Amino acid sequence: MTTLAKARAPALRSLLRHREASVLIMLLAIAAFLAFSNEYFLSSRNLLNVGRQASVVAIVALGQALVIIARGIDLSVGSVIGVSAVVAAVVLEGTGIQPLGIAVGLLTGLACGLANGIMVTRLRINPFIATLGMLSVARGIALLVTGGIPVMFTGWAEFLGAGRIFQIPVSFILMLILALAIHILATRHRLGREIYAIGDNPKAARLAGIDLKKTRLFVFGFCGCLAGLGGVILAGNLASADPNLGMGYELDVIAAVILGGTALNGGRGSIIGVVIGAMLMALLNNAFVLLGISAYWQVVTKGLVIIIAVGIDGLQRREDDE
Amino acid sequence: MQAAARQGEAQGDGDNAVPGLPFVRLRNISKSFGSVSVLEDVSFEIRPGEVVGLLGENGAGKSTLMKIVSGEHAPDQGRVEIEGNEVQLASVGEGIERGISFVHQELSVVGALSVAENLSLGDLPRNRMGFVDRNRMRDLARERLARIGAQAIRPEQEAGLLRAGEQQLVEIARAAARNPKLLILDEPTSSLTPREVESFVRYVEKAKAAGTAIIFITHRLDEAIRLCDRILVLRNGAIVSEKPSVEVTRDGIISDMTGKPAMFGYARSPEVSDRKVLSLRNVSDSQHIEGITLDVAEGEILGLFGLVGAGRTELLETIYGARPTTAGRVEICGESACFDKPTEAMAKGMAIVPEGRKTAGILPQHSVRSNMSISSLDAMSPGGFVDRGRETAQSSSYRDSLSIRMSDDRQMIGTLSGGNQQKVLFARALMTAPKLLLLDEPTHGVDVGAKAEIYEIVSDAADKGLAVIMASSEIPEIMALCDRVAVLSMGRLVGIVDRADLSEERLLSLAFEGHA
Repeated sequence: MTTLAKARAPALRSLLRHREASVLIMLLAIAAFLAFSNEYFLSSRNLLNVGRQASVVAIVALGQALVIIARGIDLSVGSVIGVSAVVAAVVLEGTGIQPLGIAVGLLTGLACGLANGIMVTRLRINPFIATLGMLSVARGIALLVTGGIPVMFTGWAEFLGAGRIFQIPVSFILMLILALAIHILATRHRLGREIYAIGDNPKAARLAGIDLKKTRLFVFGFCGCLAGLGGVILAGNLASADPNLGMGYELDVIAAVILGGTALNGGRGSIIGVVIGAMLMALLNNAFVLLGISAYWQVVTKGLVIIIAVGIDGLQRREDDE
Repeated sequence: MQAAARQGEAQGDGDNAVPGLPFVRLRNISKSFGSVSVLEDVSFEIRPGEVVGLLGENGAGKSTLMKIVSGEHAPDQGRVEIEGNEVQLASVGEGIERGISFVHQELSVVGALSVAENLSLGDLPRNRMGFVDRNRMRDLARERLARIGAQAIRPEQEAGLLRAGEQQLVEIARAAARNPKLLILDEPTSSLTPREVESFVRYVEKAKAAGTAIIFITHRLDEAIRLCDRILVLRNGAIVSEKPSVEVTRDGIISDMTGKPAMFGYARSPEVSDRKVLSLRNVSDSQHIEGITLDVAEGEILGLFGLVGAGRTELLETIYGARPTTAGRVEICGESACFDKPTEAMAKGMAIVPEGRKTAGILPQHSVRSNMSISSLDAMSPGGFVDRGRETAQSSSYRDSLSIRMSDDRQMIGTLSGGNQQKVLFARALMTAPKLLLLDEPTHGVDVGAKAEIYEIVSDAADKGLAVIMASSEIPEIMALCDRVAVLSMGRLVGIVDRADLSEERLLSLAFEGHA
């Protein structure tokens, strides 16, 4: 048995490296194809636009990645994006205090995330079901708060969502900073190490002295908070908070995480991979626009991408089991 | 094919009377995985009615050899003959058709099904309507369990709720029910109670008399010598000795297995201080243990013995905060210590090496280094960021002091042998600098060489002043290490035996107290 494992180890490791590399290759291949087929693609305006589109998915995917690495899943991120944006916009409208508006957006996301975390850790509800419930509850609250009508959301949020520094979208810069910070958290910080450990083997991690509940609560709260930030950026870009904002985003976000090489059964994944995965999703969206293909096909393709990504993950896992 | 096989079965008794025609014969088998050669030129045969013990350290190639016999792997070179005909088994299913059944070490009962359903899996008895005939299924299950002496297991019970040993018996019963001509058992007795072992031995003797060939993989040398006709020792993929069991000795086998002379059997000279590290007063949990009172002193190794299900693991988990204490008092160094979670217990100076390396011990997708340091991250992360220099230094220091064999501490833990993985778990626990070390079956499924090394680790830890509680079902292990032994029976403490009075009979008679 040991010898078998020994023989497999280098192959497995190169496969893991290969997983991140394969997404990168896919990204470059699509980029190259688009560069040849559409002259507008390589224009800085378009590329920066893709970067801006990728940034919200990537920011939320950073939180989602930690949740999935810890062997959970958060299906509610799309609705949390919506409710955070709406609540932030309503508070801003009422008070006129810019920082308060942003803070309320983040805190609304955090509150939703913590609620998810409490449902999972205290009530022992399966994360899939807990966050599926939250998906509906958060969306409903967004609709109730606004009566279904979009609220104006300008000022700081607009800067975050649509502003540029030296031509580069603020949201893209913010995404890169967050990705770097979370990468360091995941690889160097004690908390990051514990997140990987509880995803890898929760029972062993608990006996090794890791506080499972606290760590799980953190990842769900953190993911919610990042979804709140995503909501502020997304609404700021449109200068308006629509209660339907972020609908269906959970699909893009989870697809980005899985494409980036994170194992759905936890314990394995990289932050850099997640960013590449989010870029790939944004590039796919861009491709449909540039090539003038029906938006309906885009919906079909997104679904297929996530199925194929998880399918590859499953095939690999089966090999691991043997 | 089928007809020929049946004919063979009919002649089974005749073959037994004329020992000569082997049931299975392997000739010059070689097998490698990738660049790693696992078996080299192995030849071996077994006759009907013969019991052969297959011994060897982890990684010696025992499992691979048996997987070739059972049809799971095909050899790279060499021939497999069954009843004199060369065969190429394409799958385990084909092996079973030929009369070869393999009970693996890893338990594979379906937890959500009843024992009876597990025993009839793949061949559920049906009534005239085509529905499952539950009565018939239950009767079959009773009969199959009784055959191996496990009639104590109720067929209606959900298999997942059974203890590990009972699950093992269910699997043996399932294999035995196929009336195999060759039965391969991988560590069949590792979780069985002495009494279960006795009934199992009676089954082996009966099956042998009926002409079944049996191959027995085990780490329990005495049992192998007692049960087998012939002992085969594998080392590094080759057979290093093959002798009738009347000619072998314990020490001889160990030196064959390891290539080194036997190393354990030592006794400690304990200098137990009277400073109590842990005190339990009337401790109970919700259902498994009741009213336990005991003390452990600095530098003492307290053994925890009992039959499977006596509450050894549950007691350790209660002390460690992994299971709620419902009554009584736990004190560590005089301070009250009723913990809700292991995190708190660890902060107060406890550490555990749990039972079940794969399920509760290792982090399989982590490196050796991360596996070692995971419990000590708090201490080695000033400001929250892990000091990787300190982590590496600690890892290499434990690698040396516990002689953990690996090429690089960044390699995945799964690439180490079982014994070395276990030593990594010891490193994890010791790295937290605990006052109290809890060990649950610390050498389960570990080869003889590593066992001796682990005994030394435990003994050294106690010499340095650690209080150790070691739960074990292996009496030789308890005898080799413990200064005192607390014996549990059905969740209660039935006695504490001092070193001077320690004997196998005393432990067993206490352990059976309260049992019918």
